[in-house]
Amino acid sequence: MNSLFLSLLLVSLLFMKSFSEGQGKKWKGEGTTQNLESIVIGRCYEYTIIVNPSVGEKNCSALWEAFKNAFIKKDPCNILPTDYELFINLSLHTIPPNKSLFWENNQLLVSRFADKTRRYMSLADTLFGFFGDLLNWCGQANSTGLDYDSCPTTEECENNAVESFWRMASMTYAQHSSGVIHVLLNGSAEGGAYPVKGFFADFEIPNLQKDKISEVVIWVVDDLEGPDRDSCGIHTVEILENRLKNLGHNVTCTDNYKSVIFLLCVDHPDHSKCAFSSSIFSVDGSQLSDGPLTDTGTIWSVVVSLLRTFICSEKTPYALCDVH
Amino acid sequence: MPLQHSSARTWQRTVLLAGVVVLLVSLVVAIILASVLTRGKQEISPKMLKWKDRGTTRNLQEVILGRCYSYVTARHPELGDKDCLKIWESLKHAFIYKNPCNITTEDYQPLMELASHPIPCNKSLFWSKTNDLVHRYTKSNHNFLTLEDTLLGYMADRVSWCGDPAVPGINYESCPKRSECESNPSSVFWKMASKMFAEAACGVVQVMLNGSIEAGAFRSSSIFGSIEISNLNPDKVSAVQIWLMHDIGGPQSESCSGHSIKRLKGILEERNFKITCEDNYRPVQLLQCVNNPDHADCRLCSSNTETP
Repeated sequence: MNSLFLSLLLVSLLFMKSFSEGQGKKWKGEGTTQNLESIVIGRCYEYTIIVNPSVGEKNCSALWEAFKNAFIKKDPCNILPTDYELFINLSLHTIPPNKSLFWENNQLLVSRFADKTRRYMSLADTLFGFFGDLLNWCGQANSTGLDYDSCPTTEECENNAVESFWRMASMTYAQHSSGVIHVLLNGSAEGGAYPVKGFFADFEIPNLQKDKISEVVIWVVDDLEGPDRDSCGIHTVEILENRLKNLGHNVTCTDNYKSVIFLLCVDHPDHSKCAFSSSIFSVDGSQLSDGPLTDTGTIWSVVVSLLRTFICSEKTPYALCDVH
Repeated sequence: MPLQHSSARTWQRTVLLAGVVVLLVSLVVAIILASVLTRGKQEISPKMLKWKDRGTTRNLQEVILGRCYSYVTARHPELGDKDCLKIWESLKHAFIYKNPCNITTEDYQPLMELASHPIPCNKSLFWSKTNDLVHRYTKSNHNFLTLEDTLLGYMADRVSWCGDPAVPGINYESCPKRSECESNPSSVFWKMASKMFAEAACGVVQVMLNGSIEAGAFRSSSIFGSIEISNLNPDKVSAVQIWLMHDIGGPQSESCSGHSIKRLKGILEERNFKITCEDNYRPVQLLQCVNNPDHADCRLCSSNTETP
């Protein structure tokens, strides 16, 4: 009698556990972004009318339909990059030569550095990249609706809607890049600046068109606080340089490219790496005279900055330079 | 003989019938043509008014909606209660079918109420003649907000709109410039939005001015000078910090001790605001150096940077 009761209890406990698990979210990732359709259609018009009108008119509703049909009414773990083929065909446009900017482990920095196509055109600055940037989406097998509750992560299954989208977009971006191409890597990243398994390694490098590309410029930039884990010519960057050279590309590499350092310094102006070494400038809050050079304040500033110019060369420890 | 006679009559009847049919057909065709042509004429006139500035942005509705949802959903989820469709409708009703030289603040009142949101203290960043630089700065540094970083400004930035009494009520061809009439949809919108942005500011506020332009860093005729300053609330705003930026390698037409800055200080001090001024505020100057890394004004002390 007792054993029967116990086994019944066990069975019901197991049943309750599986029942409650079923009530939880289906997948581990965040669900589809709210108002996805309005956001992406708006972005399509925004890009073609305001950001980069040179791409001409695109049928944004058709773009949305092609995008949606890639993943709705399908098993959310069975979406392939080629499912986005129509979407890519409809949204494809020329990428100007010398403007391509590849990257790893520094997404926000790249977005700021590219400056919405004005400096460079990263993947997120193309129409197809702009369309999906920082958004999330997935469908469901037995319905035409989007799943706003949860979506599979790449760990749960590789062939999910978002992963396949970016794989397709990355391949396309690489195929259509030309001239001097740039890649910005994070010299402080754990595991190395160049992830040997990643979007750049697996989907972009294999699709670079040797006959269209004149040079590959690699920038390895450390976080201001460091650490300096990786640099040109060593560790993973060496692996990357060799791989590209073996593919027949001309490769150059620079550590801590100045322009990017300045950008990092914007948020940390008082960091030692961000100290200026020359020129006439005022200390906080004080006034610079804008009168003629006979003004003593101006003459003194000129003398001081001349002195600094002689004292502060690239090799001078920053402590001797003015940190203002 | 009787057969020949009947065949002649049949022939006559056939001809007559054919004639009547042709007449009827041509009458019908004429009627159809007439109605099509007159309908066409009705569509062409009354014509839309013609202006000197660019017309309403194509697909304005989709752009505005997409921006609204983007802002609310992706960037500022704490504004989740904003109804983007209602906001779009209130914008549309502010100008559709109206004469674009006759726009009033009342027209925009519903939109302003729906789309406005509070601004944290010490974050308001005003600007004049530094459009490009100030927005590159706020894109990197989310400690400060310009009007174009609020929902209203974000939706309206770089797009244009105006209406017309004629169908379809929106003029996609042209819109009035301020010189053609002051009460145009764009000018009224930005004046109102700027006023509200200034009224909402609290704590320490910042203003980025351009010290490289000949006309002077501060101009009373600018939106900053004519609308924003006078709508700062001395009970809420404690101090005004001026960042006076020079173009890298550009002329230093004015600095913190310059004439127009002195005038600005006078105006603000009269209203009991504390004022500070800084030439070439460092974080923003560092941003300018991104584009001029090798300029003498951008030489870094650090020894581990290289020129590629």
